[in-house]
Amino acid sequence: MSSASALLEPRTAVPAEDALERYRLDARAWLAEHAPRFSGAVRRGLPLERDVALGRAWQALKAAHGYGAITLPKRYGGGGGTELQKIVFTEEELRYDLPVAYFSISLSNPVPIFLRHAPETFRQRLGPPAIRGEHIWCQLFSEPAAGSDLAALRLRAERQGDGWVLNGQKLWTSWAQIAQWGVIVTRTDPDVPKHAGLTYFFLDMRSPGISVRPIRRLVGHPDLNEVYFDNVYVPDEQRLGEVGGGFRVAIETLMIERYGITDETASSPALEALVELARRARLNGRPALADGEVRAAIARAYVERQGLRSIQKRAMEAIAAGREPGPEGAIRKLLLGRMRQQLGALALDLMGADGIRLDPQGESSRDFAHAWLDPSVRIAGGTDEVLLNTLAERVLGLPQDHRPDKGVPFRQLES
Amino acid sequence: MDFSLSQEQQIFQDSARRMLETECRFETRGPLIAKGSFDGDRWRAIAEMGWLGMALPEEHGGFGGGAIETALLMEEIGRVLMVEPVWAIAVLTAHALLASGDERALALLPRLVAGEVLPVLAHNEADAGGVTEHVATVATPTAQGGWRISGEKTLVVGGNIADRFLVSARTSGRTGDREGISLFLVAADAAGLRRQNVRLIDNRWAAHLLLENVQVDKADVIGRVGGAIDALDEAHAYGLLAACAEAIGVMDRALWITRDYLKVRKQFGTTLSSFQALQHRMSEMLIELELSRSMLHRALSLFHAGPEIRRQALAAAKVHIGRSGKFVCGQAIQLHGGIGVTEEYVIGHYFKRMTTIEHELGHSHFHLQRLAELEQRRGTPVAPLAARNAA
Repeated sequence: MSSASALLEPRTAVPAEDALERYRLDARAWLAEHAPRFSGAVRRGLPLERDVALGRAWQALKAAHGYGAITLPKRYGGGGGTELQKIVFTEEELRYDLPVAYFSISLSNPVPIFLRHAPETFRQRLGPPAIRGEHIWCQLFSEPAAGSDLAALRLRAERQGDGWVLNGQKLWTSWAQIAQWGVIVTRTDPDVPKHAGLTYFFLDMRSPGISVRPIRRLVGHPDLNEVYFDNVYVPDEQRLGEVGGGFRVAIETLMIERYGITDETASSPALEALVELARRARLNGRPALADGEVRAAIARAYVERQGLRSIQKRAMEAIAAGREPGPEGAIRKLLLGRMRQQLGALALDLMGADGIRLDPQGESSRDFAHAWLDPSVRIAGGTDEVLLNTLAERVLGLPQDHRPDKGVPFRQLES
Repeated sequence: MDFSLSQEQQIFQDSARRMLETECRFETRGPLIAKGSFDGDRWRAIAEMGWLGMALPEEHGGFGGGAIETALLMEEIGRVLMVEPVWAIAVLTAHALLASGDERALALLPRLVAGEVLPVLAHNEADAGGVTEHVATVATPTAQGGWRISGEKTLVVGGNIADRFLVSARTSGRTGDREGISLFLVAADAAGLRRQNVRLIDNRWAAHLLLENVQVDKADVIGRVGGAIDALDEAHAYGLLAACAEAIGVMDRALWITRDYLKVRKQFGTTLSSFQALQHRMSEMLIELELSRSMLHRALSLFHAGPEIRRQALAAAKVHIGRSGKFVCGQAIQLHGGIGVTEEYVIGHYFKRMTTIEHELGHSHFHLQRLAELEQRRGTPVAPLAARNAA
């Protein structure tokens, strides 16, 4: 891994910068024309089904203009574009409060991995409806006993005729309740060490034996689910990769969006909104903005935001130069999560009573209280702790933690 | 400072813990919350335990305890995240009534203690932000010798179930003046009083009150007209102390629940508790908790040392506990991972209660600034201070 050296390499000018800037301006204009009909006030108070329907319509419109899945091949309805174009478009799109959350996982991981490994007939059949937003795909990875330690998963798949029978439970599955298809990692051989006994499939979420139960989150977002598998049959032709090669495919899936494009606020209100709040709020009879500590907190956040933008820029330059981005993604996610919570806490202080009233309609990107109360950005998609480990081991070259399960057959670990 | 509990206090703490752990189970509290976090039978049982009068003198129906008993009970209440308005009624309101010295108020106390009446102090206003003397609600005299009250009160915890309110209103002076605030007893069904009930993020309930020309009699004035600030200060002092103690209970349980979880949760073939980085994190949480606890003890030991010193000690405790609470309860979620952000699991609710406590009677920012002002005043020579006040 050359991340450390990548960090130190001098930056060279990016030749395609002008073309990319033009792409950005086009995207901006296109969004200005179309996005308002799908965002903001239009969505306020919509029940989930109607918001999803609005999201599908938006996704279909994007797909018709080549923005639906910018990096995926054109023959399946994708844009056939570059990673950088996707980042640029997403940055512009995030300025609007659009119903894109339902597709963010679907089109970032499950659909791309499916299009890489599935038989061509399936790709032709299922690729286009996924990119047009007619189908949503979910990613069935985590389990009660397999969170940060994905390879510890237990859901069993056993051979039966031309296929496999699945039994077990998945957890934290985003949008399983509205997904038509899913990708799943299963344990097919418990007699080998944990990483070696896994196999990867894609499956129809309407298969008999699948039941989806919602998980209520602290702030009431309806995205997460538990998914139970009771003798669910999956044909062998829906296997992605080799039998026993599931862990590799799973990691490949997660690496597709190696450089996660999150908004620089990590889905919470922008710093400008906080400044506005501090201008209105009063502290000890004076405007909160006159308070030294409040000013210092805002200034710190402002400085950190400059650093984060620079990190983002560096990662984009690496991608443009055809290099893998280094540890920027992990660093950025760590800092974003922390900043989001610090600002959320400060904002909540400034909001007074409004901050602690239960508002079931609130959303973290609009509402500081929710941003503070929902720290899941520091847990989902790699906890702070896992990211710190990654930096320690991969960048700093420090030894791996003691792993007593290494090389031990999975069956012996189950207890 | 000697912080060992007397035998009576120990017994009181033990019995409170036993009862609360049985009666306030997280898993079964849903129906109670749905009906406003209040149930008449449960409230009478709470009254029978003596908790509503723990820190009131015996001649007013109380049990002769004081600040320490208040803190002990509130810590236990925090440990189980009790949702009923003990703090609002038995601490804030009871001490405002007691400190008013008003005969009618004192006569109400034994009934409050017995759980027969539900008076709630309606003092907080949207822009108060912890400033006790911030009262914009106005009472104007009527021709009949009574008063007419108009204004808004927000975040009146327990206000949803109050049968009467102890409303603060300004009878003279300007919004931030200490002089000119009066207390009035107002029936919950008084004409012109509108009550909007709100559920708080920690599943307690509060009320937003809109008073439009609410008429009260001369006899409904509690204490001296214009002289309520001392009673309110006293109520807030007890309220702050109780909120800090509750926060200690919240942090303490959040810490130990997390410790237990780390000992059983396995990833990478071993329990999370074996990762030193996480052990250190837990130690940092413990340090914050114990520092906070010491700040509470300090505030308790200075509680009767005079108003200025008490105010300083309570502000310092509130600042420290507010900050430690964010760290301890936030990390409790972080160390739980995904399960921590679910509504069904208890740990996130400790974080939520901590967040509401932070907002009671002034948040950390407010108290830090107040501390700075108190210090500045102490460090300034007497003459310039007097000159500044005169200016």
